[in-house]
Amino acid sequence: MGDYIVEMRHITKRFPGIIANDDVSLEIRKGEVYALLGENGAGKSTLMSILFGTYEPDAGEILVRGQKVHFHSSTDAAACGIGMVHQHFKLVEPFTIAENIVLGVEPEEKKLGILPWVNMKKANRQISELSREYGLEVNPTDRIGEVPVSVRQRVEILKMLYRGAEIMIFDEPTAVLTPQEIEFLLQIIDNLRRDGKTIILITHKIAEIKRIADRCAILRQGKLIDVRDVADASAQELADLMVGRQVSFTQEKTAPKYGEPVLEVQHLTVKNEHKFDVVKDVSFTVRSGEIFAIAGVSGNGQGEIADAIAGLAKIADGRVILNGKEINDFSVRERCLGGISYIPEDRQETGTIPDMTLQENLSLREYFREPFSRKGILKPDPFRDYAEKLIGKYDIRCAQGPDTVLRSMSGGNQQKAIVGREIEEGSRLIIFVQPTRGLDIGAIENIHRQILEERERGAAILLISLELDEIMNLADTIGVLYRGEILKIDSADRMTTQEVGRYMMGVKEA
Amino acid sequence: MFLSRRLTGKYASLWVSLLAILMTLAAASILLLTMGKNPLVAFRSFLQGCGMIPKENYGGGSGMLTDLLDFLNYLAPLILASLAFITAFKAGLFNIGIAGQMLLAGFTATVLIGYNKGLSAVVAKPLVLLIGLAVGGMTGALIGWLKYRFNIHEVVSTIMLNYIISYLTGFFINNNYVDMMTRNSKVCSPDSRLTLTNVMIGDLKCKIPLGLIIAILIALLVSFLFRKTVLGFEIKAVGQNRKCSEYTGIRVNRTILLSMGFSGAIAGLAGVAYYLGYTNTIIPKTLPGMGYDSISVALLGSGAPIGSIFAAIVVSIFQQGANYMSSTVGVAKEIASLITGILLLFASCGNYMKYKAARKIQLAADLRGTEGKEAKAS
Repeated sequence: MGDYIVEMRHITKRFPGIIANDDVSLEIRKGEVYALLGENGAGKSTLMSILFGTYEPDAGEILVRGQKVHFHSSTDAAACGIGMVHQHFKLVEPFTIAENIVLGVEPEEKKLGILPWVNMKKANRQISELSREYGLEVNPTDRIGEVPVSVRQRVEILKMLYRGAEIMIFDEPTAVLTPQEIEFLLQIIDNLRRDGKTIILITHKIAEIKRIADRCAILRQGKLIDVRDVADASAQELADLMVGRQVSFTQEKTAPKYGEPVLEVQHLTVKNEHKFDVVKDVSFTVRSGEIFAIAGVSGNGQGEIADAIAGLAKIADGRVILNGKEINDFSVRERCLGGISYIPEDRQETGTIPDMTLQENLSLREYFREPFSRKGILKPDPFRDYAEKLIGKYDIRCAQGPDTVLRSMSGGNQQKAIVGREIEEGSRLIIFVQPTRGLDIGAIENIHRQILEERERGAAILLISLELDEIMNLADTIGVLYRGEILKIDSADRMTTQEVGRYMMGVKEA
Repeated sequence: MFLSRRLTGKYASLWVSLLAILMTLAAASILLLTMGKNPLVAFRSFLQGCGMIPKENYGGGSGMLTDLLDFLNYLAPLILASLAFITAFKAGLFNIGIAGQMLLAGFTATVLIGYNKGLSAVVAKPLVLLIGLAVGGMTGALIGWLKYRFNIHEVVSTIMLNYIISYLTGFFINNNYVDMMTRNSKVCSPDSRLTLTNVMIGDLKCKIPLGLIIAILIALLVSFLFRKTVLGFEIKAVGQNRKCSEYTGIRVNRTILLSMGFSGAIAGLAGVAYYLGYTNTIIPKTLPGMGYDSISVALLGSGAPIGSIFAAIVVSIFQQGANYMSSTVGVAKEIASLITGILLLFASCGNYMKYKAARKIQLAADLRGTEGKEAKAS
């Protein structure tokens, strides 16, 4: 038993309406990379939040280094040498990197013996040393708000190291990174392992597990399905275990049949609230029957391009032309009615009204016109009929049918509702922004199939995604966006994943 | 378990309100007991003061009906004020300027119509209502405009406007319209009032509150707006998710302006029903407490227009019955405001109660589930 650094025995955790972890037991050896594989909602993050002290389990016990522990908060866990990099970084943007790292464990000194004072110079020096030691180059005096995502992640890792963490939990660390950055991170994880740290990696990407992990636990619907030695398990095997059935990785795609241009974007410039050009002089054309994909690292202006086309962001310069007509001055509604459907990035903040019912959410593009309403008065029956039709057609799972409150549905089903609502409009242009973010393999398959069906129907599709695999699988044409500029537009079959990845990093010609 | 089921069922909001009232009564009882008073006697005298239970004796020309009509006279503006709050609240706006909007509308109507002795009742009363609607509506719209044009939060602008209105009207009353005896504004002409006074029913001298009819009409109208109309749907959408509303193509700014305008207009009606119905005079530099009570009422009625009628009745019983209770039981009448405050506190715990109940039911279901499994296994 001595070689297990963490043991979780019979952990059960319930939330209203769901059992997140159902009698899960894990043993993790010191110095290994232990992967937790599972679809969204399988209970990976909950299980690790229990280990990290964020939640207390309803049943079961945790042993760290053979000692039984009770964590009431993450402070308790940190005292036991457990650190965690959350999916959404917990950093204070106006603070410097060093300030973020020492926050809560400041190197405090007493001036004149009484006045407490934080020695930031010392902290900066310590952090520089630490970052060189592990190959995590950062400049301690940069402000978090001004550094890219990959650096922020390094800061989170340094934060754990600074606190002397021995057991490090990474929650979906690669979701926000480019292929090159992912490679770099995996190397860092490898270094940490060589240094004797224990790594727990939460992910649903099998390629990463194959590349780095020693052992892999598969969770499905809160239950532990299996623990495998990664060396003995094939990627297909792991995927089937995770989903619980046979899965296919790629979609059949027919040869493109391009029609006339539907969307033309000419020299588009969009400014943010600080008058900074977030989109600079972007031009491209999407034809009927074409999937035009914009690749790029998060925060390079993708969302703003989509918003500018849909009418949610102001166009500072340039023209947006739909079906040969300039729509710069059109309102959002005029654009919708003119043939734009838009699946936005944030499904709860932008795509839906979570506290309204499913039928109200499904009717958001229709409620203001007949037969849904007449002369300003709503007609209840069309709402219900339309909702029932879409629920069947798009396989939206909902507990109380059209009256289900949207918030109570799973993320995948919320996304099905949005996609269904937007596709049902039969628009000539459909904008998909990160359509599969946070969804599990089954749901991703489903949405990819629908995107291809719409292409078949002759819709022009603008696909904006951070997932390079998704872009390589679906796109006919790829435009790579870097710092608001399109660096390269080319046919998808003339570009490799590596090439696109390089442009995403801002390298113009290799 | 009985309660948990009710709190998660179809009529959950109703049960939350009932529970809030019960808890308030319990808290008030403890309060009264510590003062050495019998809570049951106190609660009875609240009801007696509102003409719902007969008093031991009545003065000449008054009776249970007079008390009841007085109660309804108070109830009418309170219903209207809470409807004003609800209308803005559905759009996600917190209109705590109802007191100011009431005062400005009441003051304007008093000065323009109430002091104009030449107008007959048939002309004066509709004009009073119109002025209430217009003045309140414009004040509300101004707040909405400040919000979308300059991004001034409505809570800040309404609080500031409350002070401005209070001192501005107070200044004019003290300068031009003060009654030297009472130090309040001079009373309005009977023809302009929304309450018919000195109506003899049998041998009782009664007041007939016309405002109540208007309050019920507006409640039905607001209910219709939010249940049946496109505009109501859009207001609710904006209230729940402004970003998604914009994405859907709703003109968010226009919706904010409209709902704030409606809210102000209804508050204006409440103002004229209060100042030209219930009080008949204005105390200078004093905001009507009813403007704030309306928030308790709206929350107790869980934001439902018809529900707020019943919630208003509950709050009015305490507010209106306080005088009689105070004279018979000997507790300062300010306890009415105290009780209203406690009520607000419990009513705003509604979501927490629903959450707790849902969790309890879920846990019980889980337990049953595991027991069932074990039973099968053995």
